[in-house]
Amino acid sequence: MKRSKRFISEVLSTLKENIQRTGDPLGIKRVYWTDWADGLNLQRGGENILLTARMYQMLPYIMQVTDLVALAKPFLSRSGLGQIVDMGNRLIGDKIIRFKALGSKKLKSKSNNVLNGIVSALGAIGQRPAYLYEDEPYSGVLLYDLGLDEYIEGHIKEVYSLLKTYRVEKIIGVDPHTVFMLKEIYPKYIENYDIEVKHYLEILSENNEALKKSCKKGLEKQFVIHDSCYMTRELGIIEQVRRISASLGITVVEPENTKLDTACCGGPIEYAFRDLTEKVSKTRIQELANVSKNIIVECPICLINLRRYEREMGIRVWDMGELLFGVL
Amino acid sequence: MDINETKAIRSTLLEEAGKCRACRFCIDVCPVYQATEWVESMSPYGRLQILKYLINGTLDEDDPLIYSLYTCLQCGRCDLLCRAKGQNLEVSNLIRMGKYLLSQGLVKGKKSEKV
Repeated sequence: MKRSKRFISEVLSTLKENIQRTGDPLGIKRVYWTDWADGLNLQRGGENILLTARMYQMLPYIMQVTDLVALAKPFLSRSGLGQIVDMGNRLIGDKIIRFKALGSKKLKSKSNNVLNGIVSALGAIGQRPAYLYEDEPYSGVLLYDLGLDEYIEGHIKEVYSLLKTYRVEKIIGVDPHTVFMLKEIYPKYIENYDIEVKHYLEILSENNEALKKSCKKGLEKQFVIHDSCYMTRELGIIEQVRRISASLGITVVEPENTKLDTACCGGPIEYAFRDLTEKVSKTRIQELANVSKNIIVECPICLINLRRYEREMGIRVWDMGELLFGVL
Repeated sequence: MDINETKAIRSTLLEEAGKCRACRFCIDVCPVYQATEWVESMSPYGRLQILKYLINGTLDEDDPLIYSLYTCLQCGRCDLLCRAKGQNLEVSNLIRMGKYLLSQGLVKGKKSEKV
């Protein structure tokens, strides 16, 4: 709580600066979000695209950034030193983050599997979306969450203009935060917004039978679903993930606080308040672990926050995309 | 953000926060309130009060108040409760709008202005 004002000021200013300078919340210039698609031969651009918005690919870097922020917090909140750290961030920040993220191979492979699983599942129901590769934009959701509305408009207009350059008409999103932004917030800033946005779980659920037929093996296990806040309360996607789980052979058990009344994983404030995030996530993981050791999540932020307890609590946290990757 | 927009947001926030009937049902479902072991300023209701008093000038922006507002998860669980209790305030969005006002003085390089 001490020096929160100065610290938040540094965080907001850095985020704004990063987005304006590179279009990326982490301020990383080098393309880090396309590796997962190597060998998939996805069409470059088109009317119907898969938009990862870099969210899963960002996870190894987010881990490093939150570690660095926790380390630098005492310095960031001191007058004057924030500017030095800020300058350091501009000059070598992204290099340090990229270098340190090399150590998170397991998380990178997990993220790649999630995205590959999603593409395989869409393929199984006859959908072959295109991809924007290095041109793929970030949605700007962090600007929105932190109330940086003044800078959202410019970012949204840039993203929309890019999508129009590629003549995009339909977007399949892979995470609830991006889908929320593109579906609910973008239309507030773009007149006559004409892009249809759906989460991949909605599409799979509409074609559940075809998906079921394509499964090579069933997952005859019991899982508990951790619903994401945005997925349920903002997007109303609740039963779809249960229908898909059932078609994969999964027996779903419900935890305390589920579906529309789901409890947050604590992730949205990890950028600045890791101690509080850990208290929130610990409560939630305990609720989930009380009913099953196998946990399904459907959001990258939930994935990164809850999986840290795997070893300590003897649980496994799976993203839905990972499960699809395993059975298709 | 120009002066008229700031005024409009302040007025909307005061008007909406004024609708709160202080039933406090929202506080128990807030994960941060639970994690901080029942500190009311770390709950949706507490945050709304903080915003109200920041706008009408009773409180001044300081570290604990910034901490309280920026630790809101925007998870929307309080909105659900408020709707269920018939008041239908978009509490988390009001807090987000409060952050928007605060950001005017927090983002470096901008003309500092108090909420």
